[in-house]
Amino acid sequence: MSDHDDRPGNRLRAELPEEVPPAAPAPVPAGRAEAPEGKRALTGRERLVKGLWPPRVTRAQLIVALLLFGLGFGLAVQVASNSDNDSALRGARQEDLVRILDELDDRTQRLEDEKQGLEKQRDELENSSDQAEEARKQTVEKERQLGVLAGTVAAQGPGITMTIEDTKGTVEADMLLDAIQELRAAGAEAIQVNGVRVVAGTYLTDSGKSVSVDGNKINAPYRFKVIGKPQDLEPALNIPGGVVQTLEKEQATVTVERSSKIVVDALRAAKRPDYARSSSQ
Amino acid sequence: MIAVLGLVVGVVAGLLVRPEVPAAVEPYLPIAVVAALDAVFGGLRAMLDGIFDDKVFVVSFLSNVVVAALIVFLGDKLGVGAQLSTGVVVVLGIRIFSNAAAIRRHVFRA
Repeated sequence: MSDHDDRPGNRLRAELPEEVPPAAPAPVPAGRAEAPEGKRALTGRERLVKGLWPPRVTRAQLIVALLLFGLGFGLAVQVASNSDNDSALRGARQEDLVRILDELDDRTQRLEDEKQGLEKQRDELENSSDQAEEARKQTVEKERQLGVLAGTVAAQGPGITMTIEDTKGTVEADMLLDAIQELRAAGAEAIQVNGVRVVAGTYLTDSGKSVSVDGNKINAPYRFKVIGKPQDLEPALNIPGGVVQTLEKEQATVTVERSSKIVVDALRAAKRPDYARSSSQ
Repeated sequence: MIAVLGLVVGVVAGLLVRPEVPAAVEPYLPIAVVAALDAVFGGLRAMLDGIFDDKVFVVSFLSNVVVAALIVFLGDKLGVGAQLSTGVVVVLGIRIFSNAAAIRRHVFRA
């Protein structure tokens, strides 16, 4: 490092006394008109010009060029990276930077806490809304199931159709009730008779030659639409001494047909009980 | 001439490529650049004096850079990196000024 520069320094100091005296008169002509350099051999300037103008490819030039390339590259990179970055922090002192960093840390902590709180709240809300949604779904499902039983919604499914032809007018309410009981015992889930839905509170009365179901007078032929397992329902009606035989004894004709799709679409308004209240709540 | 071209090409390449300075080198690059500048001024002065030697120039250039980086590294390890790099810059600046003065005397005879 110092080796190289000390020598020229010493040399210069040695040379300066020699060079300066002729330099004193020289600046006036040389400074005014820069041209006459060939006339008076200025050692330094001459060497500079000689090194600059006829471009010689020597080992020294190449090596120096390589090093200067590195210098220029580093210089440009440093300048570029210096001007690229945010200038606000670059000029700040160390304690300022530490303070800013602390503030940022505090802020990050606060925001993190807030985020956690909000996430917890969100989870709770999601859970509760999930639960409410689930409860609502179950309620709807239950309402549908109960609606089938209570006769407030239409139902469809496999089942049978039973038609009772009563030309003589001998069929009475208790025979139909027997039929309904038999169907229920065989697992019927929804029953309608001539457009009247049969539910738990259904009652049948005789009214003259015909029958009333829940106060609605129906006439023969009595057409039962029953949803349930056809393989259970049909045998239940046909057992010896059962519904079909009893009715046929009364001169009525009974036809039972299985079907894979029975639609029970007679509806009944939901009736609010006057006295009974649910005790499950 | 070739040397000046090398400098110009280096600057242009640095501006065009814009490489990301590695974090390990980042503190040493400015000091290294200043040290290299010092070596270049010293070399220019030596050339004007007529005693330029490429071997000496190469050695002084490289050793300047390495020693400057070493000083900063040592300063960082000792916890006085900022002060030490300031000191290095001051010393190198003084040397650059004195070399520039010698060059000026040669070129302008004043």
